[in-house]
Amino acid sequence: MHGRPRNAPRSEESAAKADKLRDLQAQLLHNHHNRIYTNEAVAASAKLLEINPEINTAWNYRKLALQSNLKEVTDAEVIKALVDEELRVVESALRQNPKSYGAWYHRKWVLGHKFSPVNFDHEFWLLSRLLKLDPRNFHGWSYRRFVAALKHVPEVEELKYTMDMIDSNFSNYSAWHNRSLLLSNLLKQKAQGFVSKEKILTDEYDLVHQALFTEASDQSGWFYYLWLLNQTVSPDQPLVISSWPAHGSSWVLSTNRSKNGVKLFSSTSSNPCYCLPMETVPIILFFNQPVSGVNSSTVTVNSVFASNEDLNWRPLSSANSGSAHCWVTYLKISDARISGTSSVDVSLGHSQDIKSANGSPYTFPLLLKFTIELNFADVEQSGGNFGEELFVFNSDKVCFPLESPSISYFDQLKISENPAPLASGWDVETLSNEIRLFKESPDETCKFVKITLARLLVAYDALMSDRSPSSHKKTHSEEVLKLFNDLIQLDPVHAKFYEDERSLVILDQVTFDKESLMKHYGHFCKLTSSSLSYHSALRLNKLSLTRIGFVERLVWVQILDLSHNELQSISGLEALQLLTCVNLANNQLNSFAALEPLRLLSSLRVLDVSFNKVGLHPIDTKRYLCSSPMSHTTDIAQLIKDFKNTEFATYWEAISIFKDLQLTQLNIEGNAAANENLSLILKKALPNLIWLNGVHVQ
Amino acid sequence: MDRSSEFDRMKHVAFLEMMMEWMPSPYEAQEINRLTLAYFTISGLAILDALDPVYKDRIINWVLSLQAHPRDRAELENGQLYGFHGSRSSQFHRHDAKQQDSVPNGSHLASTYCALAILRIIDYDLSSIDSESILISMRHLQQPDGSFTPIHLGAEMDLRFVYCAAAICYMLNDWTGMDKEKAKDYILSCQSYDGGFGLVPGLESHGGGTFCAVAALRLMGFIEADALSKSTVATTINVPLLLEWCMQRQGVDGGFQGRANKASDTCYAFWVGGVLKILGAYHFLDKDALRRFLLSCESQYSGFKKFPEDVMPDLYHSYYGLAALSLLEEPGLIPLCVELGIPTKDAI
Repeated sequence: MHGRPRNAPRSEESAAKADKLRDLQAQLLHNHHNRIYTNEAVAASAKLLEINPEINTAWNYRKLALQSNLKEVTDAEVIKALVDEELRVVESALRQNPKSYGAWYHRKWVLGHKFSPVNFDHEFWLLSRLLKLDPRNFHGWSYRRFVAALKHVPEVEELKYTMDMIDSNFSNYSAWHNRSLLLSNLLKQKAQGFVSKEKILTDEYDLVHQALFTEASDQSGWFYYLWLLNQTVSPDQPLVISSWPAHGSSWVLSTNRSKNGVKLFSSTSSNPCYCLPMETVPIILFFNQPVSGVNSSTVTVNSVFASNEDLNWRPLSSANSGSAHCWVTYLKISDARISGTSSVDVSLGHSQDIKSANGSPYTFPLLLKFTIELNFADVEQSGGNFGEELFVFNSDKVCFPLESPSISYFDQLKISENPAPLASGWDVETLSNEIRLFKESPDETCKFVKITLARLLVAYDALMSDRSPSSHKKTHSEEVLKLFNDLIQLDPVHAKFYEDERSLVILDQVTFDKESLMKHYGHFCKLTSSSLSYHSALRLNKLSLTRIGFVERLVWVQILDLSHNELQSISGLEALQLLTCVNLANNQLNSFAALEPLRLLSSLRVLDVSFNKVGLHPIDTKRYLCSSPMSHTTDIAQLIKDFKNTEFATYWEAISIFKDLQLTQLNIEGNAAANENLSLILKKALPNLIWLNGVHVQ
Repeated sequence: MDRSSEFDRMKHVAFLEMMMEWMPSPYEAQEINRLTLAYFTISGLAILDALDPVYKDRIINWVLSLQAHPRDRAELENGQLYGFHGSRSSQFHRHDAKQQDSVPNGSHLASTYCALAILRIIDYDLSSIDSESILISMRHLQQPDGSFTPIHLGAEMDLRFVYCAAAICYMLNDWTGMDKEKAKDYILSCQSYDGGFGLVPGLESHGGGTFCAVAALRLMGFIEADALSKSTVATTINVPLLLEWCMQRQGVDGGFQGRANKASDTCYAFWVGGVLKILGAYHFLDKDALRRFLLSCESQYSGFKKFPEDVMPDLYHSYYGLAALSLLEEPGLIPLCVELGIPTKDAI
């Protein structure tokens, strides 16, 4: 019924038809139940199916009949005749309804049993006729894969067939889709003629150009183009792209056993860079794609502070899936009795057990070294501690950009010793050719052209900055920003999507190198007391950001100001393990679950989420993007007990986010969810809280 | 929401009332799936809040008369499904058989789903039917890869019947009828690289397949597990990619397409819209545009058409047109229990 043309009913004709159907159905049931498989009986079921292929009982009757009638037969000709009759009935049923599930299945069943040799030429002829009638019939495509597998047709041949189908109609996305699947397989297997990914993909670009420039308004070719671009630039192998502490950095650690943890100084500066409240130094590895299997046997950390086996690596992802871009372990310093300078070596690549989502192992040997000098002497408390006094993110109080110890290692954060995935430079060359082609496109007002060009430019810049970070300074970001601004105007329906893409470009621009970062880096001058004299903050406020990106360049940040953006998600922030203060005021965060990434920040003490939209939407969409906060809580019964007499059911999301945090300051005013009840709950969930909404907690 | 254009509820009530009485000749071919046609009609009337109580007993008797019963408990292990027949014409009556040994019955997983859905809609107490036969016998239909064949003699195996199986177990409130973990693995194997689900692994992503996948995962508790349950399994479907695929199915005409680069079609407003609803992402779509598209698919007589340019309405698109409008919270329509594809129980 679905997807078939409907004609106005013709009453007389259909009444006669109904009578005939009823009669044939009665015969079928009688024969079926009494196991009558005579020629006459079987022929009646064929008649029924030719009128109505939807009667699955009749197909199944024929299966039993065929099996029964073949039992006694050995003559190949007779077998063939019986099988051919089944195929004929299916064909005429398909003429009646080319999307009949039952008919297609019957054909697969008959051929799959291999009662007699299959006439493959006929099957392929039938398929080509059928797909000519409806090139998008997915039953047809599915059946084609079945027959090809049955005949052991090499995938190369099937690839040729998709070519024929595409040639006859560029708009046939089913053919493009099948092509993408077949090509992926062939390239993965490195089949004969498919060893050179460069050559194959170059041919595919030529092919898709024909489609795009013939039929620029048709989506199919564009979808395929995006798949192709992804194949060109997406890394095959997992690699480490950044780390903290940076390779080659040296630190002085002051452990004066005050209750507020340790302080970390750069060896070249007398100002502390970090207060580490947990008396631990995090070691962070950031990969180019989500990986699993990071543990003490795949990563070796040699240091005097802890034995490698005792280190526990944790994925930083709110998805709870055991795989993440970013992994962290903590070196516990407080127990160390060693003074003097100690080297910490982090090595990986000796085991193949770190794997990407598609199963590619991490194989590149990597050694990261940094030193830590322990200093037990009392140092002047110039670094101060967060939290005891009210910390105010006040833009007026931020002064002069200054070379700070924590940013001095910025260039070393990036791991550039990785092997180039395609040493030939083929990908760079391809991308520049593609960029040239689209810039010359006569259809430059077409939104597909604009977004493709934007993606190409972004991909090109990313490749270039990976290959030659020192020489490639000039990026296309201004051009890309213009493209996205144009697209927002041109295609307002998808404005949010373009805004997300634009956010990434802005962040790329800002965090690209030390020079550009310094423009956003400032010190909070003396605030309410002398103890807060030097805190360096990265200020990414007022940038119209809707999402976060390029966090691998921000792993060193301790104070981050993201206020006055349009953030709807802070996913990615979980990688910033040193983050102690974060300002998210005046954004568009609309649920507690949107704050989920903060749960993984054990150093976080000061949080400002004032003037967002938390609680505004009754439906919490983020809940389905992360797994439910409740789902990784094992002691929910305890929680319910702890929070009895409160509105637990209303605020369970808030509780599950905040109970793992050790905030001393929180500002949540100006949100739909903020009220007296919430304040009570928060004070209970956050026992260390000193300041709530700017007011000292008694 | 912009409600400037009118939705004429009574017109659709009249259309479905007509379907209660007759089976129009274009549906002859679907006679075998009569329960499914009845499900569209009855559920449609329930969404319209117009299901006349006078039908209730008639419906119950007719639906129950289509159930297949085993002779004894031993028969439950013979591999056949003891569920519901799609209609009289596939029904097997024991006295028809001359031989004593069992003759294949024609009960079908999809008909069983429709039967239970109808009974639930009219508030029949499902605990009073022989659910044990259904649950024990349906286990034999689950394949080693986790998929389901809808009938023991064999038929196509795909996500549609995994969904039916999950909905049946959910409605009977008893999961002994299937291996949930295996079913989940099968569903996950159907997610394509673009985020949608094909009906079988490797097939192009499809709106209907995607609904079956997501709704089944939801019914089985793998998506948004019961908030207060302690043991939940992290699901491994790629939700952001799935959302992206779904969002891209809304066309410039406001309607939803079922696959990339196809025309918008009434029914996918439910299939894809339903997925978004389940994921809690329904407010991401352009509701005004979708409503305008759906109203443009209303037939001038009554019912809904597949495409705006069609002439004749049909029952299938009429039902999913109404279901989609209910998702849009059209006044006068009963809200849906989207993962079961029926109106919510307490509203009836």
